[in-house]
Amino acid sequence: MFEMLSYEFMQRALIASVIIGLVCSIIGVFVILKNLTFIGAGTSHAAFAGVTLGYLIKFSPLSIAVLFSLITVWIVGYLSKKGYLKLDASVGIFYSLTMALAVLFIGLMKIYNAEVYGYLFGSILSVTKLDLAIIVLLGVVVLFLVYLFFKEFHFITFDEEMARAGGIPTGWLSFLLLTMIALTIVISLKSVGAILVFAMIVTPAAAAYQLTYSMIRMFIYSALIGTGSSVSGVFLSYWLDLPSGATTVLFVSFVFFLSVLLSPKHRTILTAIN
Amino acid sequence: MKNNVIITFSQATINYQQRAALEDISLDVYQGEFIGIIGPNGSGKTTLLKSILGLVRPSKGSVQIFDCACHKLRCHHKAKIGYIPQKGQIDPNFPVTVSETVMMGRYSSLGLFHRPSKPDKGLVETALTEVGMTGYEDATLGHLSGGQQQRVLIARALVQQPEVLLMDEPTTGIDPPTQHSIIRLISNLHKNLNLTILLVTHDINMISPFVDRIALLKVRLFAIGTPSEVLNEKILSEIYGKQVVVTTKENGLYVIVGDYHYV
Repeated sequence: MFEMLSYEFMQRALIASVIIGLVCSIIGVFVILKNLTFIGAGTSHAAFAGVTLGYLIKFSPLSIAVLFSLITVWIVGYLSKKGYLKLDASVGIFYSLTMALAVLFIGLMKIYNAEVYGYLFGSILSVTKLDLAIIVLLGVVVLFLVYLFFKEFHFITFDEEMARAGGIPTGWLSFLLLTMIALTIVISLKSVGAILVFAMIVTPAAAAYQLTYSMIRMFIYSALIGTGSSVSGVFLSYWLDLPSGATTVLFVSFVFFLSVLLSPKHRTILTAIN
Repeated sequence: MKNNVIITFSQATINYQQRAALEDISLDVYQGEFIGIIGPNGSGKTTLLKSILGLVRPSKGSVQIFDCACHKLRCHHKAKIGYIPQKGQIDPNFPVTVSETVMMGRYSSLGLFHRPSKPDKGLVETALTEVGMTGYEDATLGHLSGGQQQRVLIARALVQQPEVLLMDEPTTGIDPPTQHSIIRLISNLHKNLNLTILLVTHDINMISPFVDRIALLKVRLFAIGTPSEVLNEKILSEIYGKQVVVTTKENGLYVIVGDYHYV
C-alpha cells in the first residue's frame, strides 16, 4: 500500500477522488431532494460535447466543457422557470442534441483520439497536475458556495414557493445551484467519465436518503459515502487493475443497495404492512 | 383601534395566463383586522394573497402594503408577512424535522450570509409553544398528522414575528374536530398578538363567528362587509349559482347550499 502511495500519479488520484467524492455527494443531496436527477445526465453529455470540440479545435477541452455545461443548465433552467417547457423535456432535448454534437465532433477529427474516450469512461489515474489544480479550485468554489448559501438552499429545496414568498431570492439562487451542478460535473468528467459521473452525484445522496430523516445528517452521510466510495474505487481499481470510474460507481452502487436493506424507512413501511 | 390601513388595493387588475384572475379590486385592510376571503374555485382568492406577497403584480391599479408597492417589497417588509400556503402532500420520507421547518421562517429576517443563533432557536421554541407543538422539535415533519403539520406551518409563519398573516385554506384535508381547533388557534393568535389576518377558505360556517369582515370574490370583489352583511341568500346564490339558505344559530349565521352545510 505504501509503495502505491509513493507514486505521484496515485497521490494525485487520491486527492482528486476525495474532492470529487465530497463535492459530488454534497451537490447530490440538492439534486435528489429537488428532483433534478435528469439534469445531471443531460449536463454531463453537454460537457462531453464541449470536450470533443476542444480536442477538435485544439483549445482547452475543460474550458469548453465548462462553457457547454453552463449554457445547457442556464437554458434548461430558463425554459423551466418561464414555464415554456417542462424541465425533463428540455433536458431530454439537450441530452440528445449535445450527444449528437459530440458524435459529430469526433467524426470530424478523422483520427482516433484515446484521450476523448478517456473523458467518456473516466480515468482518475491519468489526472495531471493541471487537472488536479482545476479540480481543487472548482471543488473549493462549489463547497464554499454551498457553505455560504446553505440555509437558502435548504429552504428552496424544501419549499421554493414559500422561500420566494419569504423574500429569499430564489431566482438567482436556483441558477446558482444549476451552475454548481454544472461545475461539479465538469471537475468529475476526466476522473469518472461523462457516462458515470451522474452516478457519483445521485447514488451517495440516494443512499444517505435511505438512512436518515434529517437533512443535516443526510449531508454528512452522503459526504461520507461519496468520499469513501471514491477513495475505495481508486484503491480497488489499482489493486485489481480495473477501470477506475466503473469500479467507483459499482462500489457506491453496492453501498446504495446496502443502505436500502438497512434503511429505517423501509423497516417502518414493513412494520406497517405486517 | 382599527383605523390604520395596512394593505390597500386600488382598482387592481391582476392577470394570470393572459386572463384576469382579479379585476378592478379596491379594498382597504386595517391593522389588527381578521378578514375571511371566500368565493368559488378560480375566483382569485389565492391570487389576492400572492399579490400582497409581491409574487404577482397588478397590470392595472396598485397593491400597497406597509406603504410600499407589493412588487417592490424588500426583505425587511416580507419578513413582516407570514404566509401559510395551501398545504400539499408532504413526502413522509423528506428529511426535515419540525424545528428545521420552523427555523426556515427566520431565514428572511436573518438575510443572506447570516446563520441562526441562540435567540432564533428561542423564537422557534416560543412559536412551537404558541401552536401547542412543544416536544415535537426533533420529529420528522412528514410523520405528523395533517393537523399537526398545519400547526408547524403556522409556527413557521409566527417565528417571523409577522404583523400580517396570510393563510390559504389552512383547514383543507383535516378532520372536522381538528379544523375547529386550528381555527380557534388562529383566532387566539389574532387576539393575543394583534395580527392582521387574511384567511382564504371555502368553509364559511367555520370562520364566520371569528372574522371581522368577509370578502366575497368572483374575479371582482363581489361583496365586503361583516358576516351578517355578506352572508346573504341573494348574494351567495348569485355567486355560487345554487339555492343558498342562510339560517341563524346560537353562534351566528349558518349557510346551507343544496344538501350541503358548506359552500
